[in-house]
Amino acid sequence: MSAAAAARSRPGEPAFDSDRALLALLLAGVAVPLLVFVVWPLAEILKLSFDTPKGLGLGNYAVYFATPKFARVLVNSLEVAVCATLITTVLAYGFAYAMQRCLPRGRRVLGAIALLPLYAPSLLQALGILFLLGRNGAIARTFGVDIDIYGFTGIVVADVFYAFPHAYLILSAALAIGDARLYESAEMLGAGRARIFRTVTLPATRYGLMSAVFVVFTIVITDFGNPMVIGGDYSVLATEIYNQVSGQGNMAMGAVIGVVLLVPAAIAVFVERWVARHHHAVLGDRSDPLRVVPSPARDRVALAYSALICGAIALIVLVVVVASFVTLWPYNLSMSLRHYHFEVQNGLAPLWTSIGVSLAAAVLGVVVVIVGAAVVRRLGPVLTQALYFLSVLPAAVPGMVLGLGYILAFNRPDNPLGFLYGSLAILVICNVYHYHAQGFLIATTAMSQVSRVFDEASTCLGGGLARTLGTVTLPLVAPALVSIGVFFFVRSMVTLSAVIFIVTPATQLAAVSVLLLDDSGNQNQAAAYSVCIMAVVAVALIALEATLALVRHRGGMRAPQLAAA
Amino acid sequence: MTRIRWLNALAALALATLSLGARAGDITVYTALEEDDVRVYLTEFNKTHPDIKVNLLRLSTGDLVARILAEKANPRHDVIWGTAVTQLSDPRILEMAEPYKPAGIDQVKTAFKDPQNRWFATTGYFAGFCVNTDVLKKKNLPMPASWQDLLNPVYKGQIVMPNAASSGTGFLMIESILQMKGDAKGWQYLKDLDKNMAQYIKSGSRPCKMAATGEYAIGLSFAFSGVKQIMEGYPIKLVIPAEGAGYEIEVSMLMKTAKNKPDSKRFLDWLLTLDAAKLYGERSEMSSVPGAKPTEAVLKAGLPADVSTVLYKMNFDTSARDKDKVLAEWKSSIER
Repeated sequence: MSAAAAARSRPGEPAFDSDRALLALLLAGVAVPLLVFVVWPLAEILKLSFDTPKGLGLGNYAVYFATPKFARVLVNSLEVAVCATLITTVLAYGFAYAMQRCLPRGRRVLGAIALLPLYAPSLLQALGILFLLGRNGAIARTFGVDIDIYGFTGIVVADVFYAFPHAYLILSAALAIGDARLYESAEMLGAGRARIFRTVTLPATRYGLMSAVFVVFTIVITDFGNPMVIGGDYSVLATEIYNQVSGQGNMAMGAVIGVVLLVPAAIAVFVERWVARHHHAVLGDRSDPLRVVPSPARDRVALAYSALICGAIALIVLVVVVASFVTLWPYNLSMSLRHYHFEVQNGLAPLWTSIGVSLAAAVLGVVVVIVGAAVVRRLGPVLTQALYFLSVLPAAVPGMVLGLGYILAFNRPDNPLGFLYGSLAILVICNVYHYHAQGFLIATTAMSQVSRVFDEASTCLGGGLARTLGTVTLPLVAPALVSIGVFFFVRSMVTLSAVIFIVTPATQLAAVSVLLLDDSGNQNQAAAYSVCIMAVVAVALIALEATLALVRHRGGMRAPQLAAA
Repeated sequence: MTRIRWLNALAALALATLSLGARAGDITVYTALEEDDVRVYLTEFNKTHPDIKVNLLRLSTGDLVARILAEKANPRHDVIWGTAVTQLSDPRILEMAEPYKPAGIDQVKTAFKDPQNRWFATTGYFAGFCVNTDVLKKKNLPMPASWQDLLNPVYKGQIVMPNAASSGTGFLMIESILQMKGDAKGWQYLKDLDKNMAQYIKSGSRPCKMAATGEYAIGLSFAFSGVKQIMEGYPIKLVIPAEGAGYEIEVSMLMKTAKNKPDSKRFLDWLLTLDAAKLYGERSEMSSVPGAKPTEAVLKAGLPADVSTVLYKMNFDTSARDKDKVLAEWKSSIER
């Protein structure tokens, strides 16, 4: 690497200068939009939150913390987030353990069901839980019990389901690797199962566990859809921003609450990134990979536990689907398609808008993060750090805060980019930069698996940066490209929090329609609309699987050769 | 360089697929009317005006007014349609209106139009209680008949009502109580009622829908949302409070800043046609337009043939003048 870097800095070689120019150009092409579409909106929010009639100051924050209602909203948010995080992490650890360290029957199916909440708007959980556990929901009616789920309990339950797959994926990765030598030693020393778990498994997965805790915390504290639907009078920060901005037209208070929400979310994300970087050290070069051997009793317990969890997850989705086809929930349960006749502004048009926006976000997202990932590994250490920080920064910005920032930055005549406001383009851009961090991380991981040796070989053979990228790097990371595209597509289909502030009557999105339908009390139509969204997402996922299978089939011959090289 | 050109082309393609801005025959309309009504009205409107595409933003009354004020420097709408007169009488909004006399305005009674032609009303709404008879029977609760009845402690945690800060219906309820009882007794009543209240809901129709699905026994709403739930087949009885129902009229106005004035005017004209009036009879509890008659089904659902007999005579000037003060007081002493 250092030799190559030295070679690059040697003056007078023509191929070389054009490379540097191209690199500078690409760097600008990656960094400038990040500054415009992430940093600028954030700066606007910060500025507004400190803006008082007497100049910059803490006046707005003084008002915030002096208003009992706002102080309570912050406490509410923290309570919900801490509670849901603990429950989710414990449940997901058990589930990931059952998937990775046991051999229950139907493991693949169970693992797939656990991911269902990823593919629907977040408020689907709350909707389903209300159909099941509402005051007049299925359970209350069947067993004649009085349940009051609105508020704290409802939000926690809904968010546990919503955040579950994220925690499961992280913990699953942590539990997938293990050093067999440690387990053998522990067994030889006569340690029991509980003790092995406590002294070997738990310590080895502590980074994954911490990662999961912080990721879930961020997801829960920034979630907007579930508290909107099931929160009742129990306000949290994310809903209060919406209330202040959209309800009261009080941008300044919205900005202050935005910053109050930004702080814990950002801390959680940066701690998580820090933890993730130390994660790799767990496995040494000489570890023996762990092999899971069948154990009937243990596997039956694992099956029972994971089936219970998957049953609950599937039940919520199922009840939403059923409710969307029922004539008059809960009084007349005969089947009907009437809820698919949407009484919402512009009918089904928002679904098509969503599909268009999501497709565009997928294409633009792939280009943006892949160029970003390609550029970031060719820079010097300082620039790498800076670009890396910028690229993962969006993960720390709650959607509500980003959306409000977009109003503040772009909805004004003096902004030369003001023409974007109210267009579909800004929705695409917003989605790409809202989910930039995750896309970028997948892209850098994929890139880092392509050995630098190829790059250097291509460079030695006279290939410029563009040619290396085009003929060597891109084909190798093609499967990852498809996955990133689908990632952006799915997130753009289901997201609500950032776009809720920047949709206009002409650019309404499907997930927003679901919220509007629920807000006006048309829960069955909200359910039906969610079903439409899930159907689109399902089609996208099937297309992804098919494409990947095709790529694997075609690439199958090449892979061993590459490995040999 | 081919690869880079390819990337550029891809990015350009992504941006090119996005359509920007509004088309010639488009108008942007902000409304606080109910979603389902709006849909029916617009379908009918487009039968005779297929060349006009209405881009619609529907929000609860308070939210809509806040949005209009927030966007005042750069308004995005051409027309405000069917929104509470007490809220639009805000001088900051009135000064945005362009005086316009739609065709047929002469047949509208004076009480339903602005002397300076800045607004006119097509429909109105008044307070009603949606009571779920099924839940009432199950929980063995009495049928309420008046605002006073709602203070009965047996209803604790069984009533939902709209949030006055976001919902026009919510505001008209507390304003009518204050006008009926006077400030001191009125606020005391609202605080007593708060003890029985399970939730304050952002929208004016949702409390009735929550009562319809049996989530709560009683949903305070506007009368027609009860009529709709009854026609849907839910076990709902519509109760109009014995003290008299506070009401509100829904008015429309043209914006000075409208980007498409000719089509906006055609839209406003249509609101006073017989086509529209027929729909008002089917979908609202009161209308200012001659020819709007409540249908059989609507009367059967419990709406009186002559609504003037059940209304409490509101003073809209007082409502509009006190709006900000009343809401501030409500937010600080009652909102949760």
